[in-house]
Amino acid sequence: MQSEKVMIKRKSNNIIKFWHSYRQSLYGLIGFAILLIFIIVALFAPIISPYNPHAMKGEVLLSPSLSHLMGTDHLGRDVFSRIVYGTRVSLSVGFIAAGLSAIIGIFIGSFSGYYGGIVDEIVDKIVDTFLMIPAFFLILIIVAIFGNSIFYIMLVIGLTTWPQNARLMRAQALSLRERTFVMVARATGESNIRILFTHIIPNGIYPVLANTALQMGGAILTEAALSFLGLGDPNFVSWGKMIYQARPYMTFAWWAVVFPGIFIVLAVVSFSFIGDGLQYTFNPKLNVKQKKVSA
Amino acid sequence: MSGFVRFITRRVISIIPMVLLIVLINFFIIHLAPGNPAQIISGLEQPSQEVIKALEHRYGLDKPLVVQLGIYFKNALKGDLGYSYIYSEPVITLIKERIGATLLLTLTSAVLAFISGTLLAAWSSRYKKGILDSILSILSYVLYAMPSFWLALILILIFSSNLRWFPTAGMFNVRLSLHGFSRFGDILYHLFLPVLTLTLIQIPVYFRVTRSSIFQVSRDEYILTMTAAGLERKKIFNKYVLKNAILPSVTIFGLTLGYAITGSALVEIVFAWPGMGRLMLDAVFKRDYNLLLGIYFVLAVCICIAILLTDVFYAILDPRIRYK
Amino acid sequence: MSFMRLKNVDISYKLENTSVRAVRSFSCDIERGDIVGIVGESGSGKSTLALGIMRLLPPNASLSAETMLFDGRNILSFNQDELRKIRWKEISVVFQKAMNALSPVHKIFTQMYDVIIAHSPDTSKGKAYKMLTELFSKVNLPSKVLNMYPHELSGGMMQRVMITMSLIHNPKMIIFDEVTTALDVITQGQLLDEINRLVREFGLTAIIITHDIGVVNEVCNKVAVMYAGELLEFGKVKDVIFSPMHPYTKALVKSHPDLRIGNELIKGIPGSLPDLTDPPGGCIFYPRCDVRLDLCKSVKPEVSVLGDRIVKCHRIQR
Repeated sequence: MQSEKVMIKRKSNNIIKFWHSYRQSLYGLIGFAILLIFIIVALFAPIISPYNPHAMKGEVLLSPSLSHLMGTDHLGRDVFSRIVYGTRVSLSVGFIAAGLSAIIGIFIGSFSGYYGGIVDEIVDKIVDTFLMIPAFFLILIIVAIFGNSIFYIMLVIGLTTWPQNARLMRAQALSLRERTFVMVARATGESNIRILFTHIIPNGIYPVLANTALQMGGAILTEAALSFLGLGDPNFVSWGKMIYQARPYMTFAWWAVVFPGIFIVLAVVSFSFIGDGLQYTFNPKLNVKQKKVSA
Repeated sequence: MSGFVRFITRRVISIIPMVLLIVLINFFIIHLAPGNPAQIISGLEQPSQEVIKALEHRYGLDKPLVVQLGIYFKNALKGDLGYSYIYSEPVITLIKERIGATLLLTLTSAVLAFISGTLLAAWSSRYKKGILDSILSILSYVLYAMPSFWLALILILIFSSNLRWFPTAGMFNVRLSLHGFSRFGDILYHLFLPVLTLTLIQIPVYFRVTRSSIFQVSRDEYILTMTAAGLERKKIFNKYVLKNAILPSVTIFGLTLGYAITGSALVEIVFAWPGMGRLMLDAVFKRDYNLLLGIYFVLAVCICIAILLTDVFYAILDPRIRYK
Repeated sequence: MSFMRLKNVDISYKLENTSVRAVRSFSCDIERGDIVGIVGESGSGKSTLALGIMRLLPPNASLSAETMLFDGRNILSFNQDELRKIRWKEISVVFQKAMNALSPVHKIFTQMYDVIIAHSPDTSKGKAYKMLTELFSKVNLPSKVLNMYPHELSGGMMQRVMITMSLIHNPKMIIFDEVTTALDVITQGQLLDEINRLVREFGLTAIIITHDIGVVNEVCNKVAVMYAGELLEFGKVKDVIFSPMHPYTKALVKSHPDLRIGNELIKGIPGSLPDLTDPPGGCIFYPRCDVRLDLCKSVKPEVSVLGDRIVKCHRIQR
């Protein structure tokens, strides 16, 4: 009991320590702030959006004004309201697809790196191949063939982008398994599975976390590109789809193309910032501007 | 030089399993896709029994899966990627017609991005922590986050619709039948906006990699040696820092090319560029799986070749690699 | 006038929240033709001092001194251009990590040639090649090395290349910074012999930085013993090594297998270096000293000058 309390206390201390060091990164903080705003917008979309995103009541292709902050599209729908609802799709795609990719990558990478051998070599080769060939085409093919519900899209992005995480995790596992505390655990007879879950994964997960933030941005871009090709989920408003639909009217209604794009950029930038902030926190060595004192 | 040959041979060999893996993925997609594989390969919506029989025989579809895989491999490596039903032509023929335009766009922009990203990094590293450095750094985040197709649309809005400086679509002016140098000039004129889009999208990668690499190389021991030896800073930077700092960007050139081709496909669609992007879009909409898989395979092979060439270039720049 | 006079040299590194005072009030005089060994453990500030003398410290380091005279000139007041002109022409340095001391992607000749034309811009490639071949033969390197890349050479060969490079402009002084540390014992011995020979042949003044007091004994005529950024003892090698006065020097000599007297046991020095972000107020060696006095804890010992010898210890002052 006592030790558990100590553990919990230590954990919360770690979180505080983490935050203290994360705070040092200006970009990280800005990214976090933007993301927070996006999350609030997604959660309270019905309250924030002034109009129903599907309602075709207004006049078509109205330029931005006080009543329609970002104008209306070719069907008379309020662009701002649609952007607000689009946040939901983008954020879910980001979180779920990249989260899935992280989980798969962590498992495959840590197993492969920790156990080594022929399986590891095969995994490494597969990872190499996936890293070379752009995942987007594979995602496109799979979505085109198997269907384009938002659920599929998230699943496929997750299933095709894990190799990056696997590579990062594998490298960590490779170095961690030679460390003294892992050797000690093995010598004292702890099972391999236990070592993986109590030592390797918790200690090696950090680079994967930083990469996951970047992949969230990547997933948002992928979803937008799919939607731009007309492969988005027909049941949801997404930023990419808004651009796709507004494109034919672009020359006389720039706002319906420009604003959704700006939000894509903002969302992806915020994730990049967070990723860099995390990298800074986990690997302060990268940022120590000074040479170590050599004597 | 034998070390060099050995290095290249090893790289070529290491590419092979990658190509095989792509073929394997394609094979599985065909078999997992809804519908009969023979029908997919035939490229016909309602192929007759005879056609199906003939195809099943030709591709060994009546044989066990492993044998089928073997036959599929053989055909794919020979360039037989089946028929496209929307164009009723062999997939490989369709791709051959369009791949040149795509590669022109992709390679031009990749090389331009490499050069400008590196130069910008070199320039900004001189003003480390200054305003210029911060602006470039933020700009690189923004460009990195920009969907290529959206940037393409914005550039069209500005330069074609408003300023009317550049054409909105196509690879050359179809109304004029130009020849020789003026045709070349016309293609360049049409190439400008798509290449600008793709270059801008790729610059951040090279900018950031080179920037951090310059920062690291500047602290390497040999730079200290050169400073101690009284070489001028400019010379140290231009000759020693840059050549060493450029190496990581060269390695990522091949990998970035995959990203560039993705961007190209989307940008081609926006600019109605007669490359593989349009072909891909048609294939997606008409559910021409064979064509899609064919495009995927050919692009993958192109990228493998590009990575191989990058390796050769790298080995020329970095003597260490040849002896490993 | 001494050839090089250092008085109260202070060097500190600024780190994120703290600063490390790597060298504190270091003073010594070096005469023309001296071969001075600076000996100390890693972290004693000896390499920092070398970089300080060359004015090559990284940007986060700050250097201050009462006097830093080199051949009659105050190098403390030199600007970058003036520094560039004396570097290698008058003082050159051979660094510790020879394998990384040259650019990995340029041929050795290319780099050597750049060093040559940095100070004599009119030298032709052919003339440079001839001159380098000659220098190479002095350190037993074949001339084909010139057309090779650094990674193709062994550590010993690279170190010879670097020594050759330091001699290119016939400098007045060379600093050898732990040049033999990374090498095996045999190569180490050969290299020391070569350095010994070259220094005399070229009539150089040299500073040899090492953690191995045996090296000092073999090559140097004077020695400066450094500990945690401070000079504890300075004098002629035969005085300092054979009748050390400072307890740290004594311990250092005792811990060296070849220098101990009779069959005394080899003894390590218990304890470790003090924290240099906040150096203790009294004697820097107090925590590890086995003959310490109460006084040593709080009062910093003054420098005692005994002829050409300097010792910094309360026991000597009494």
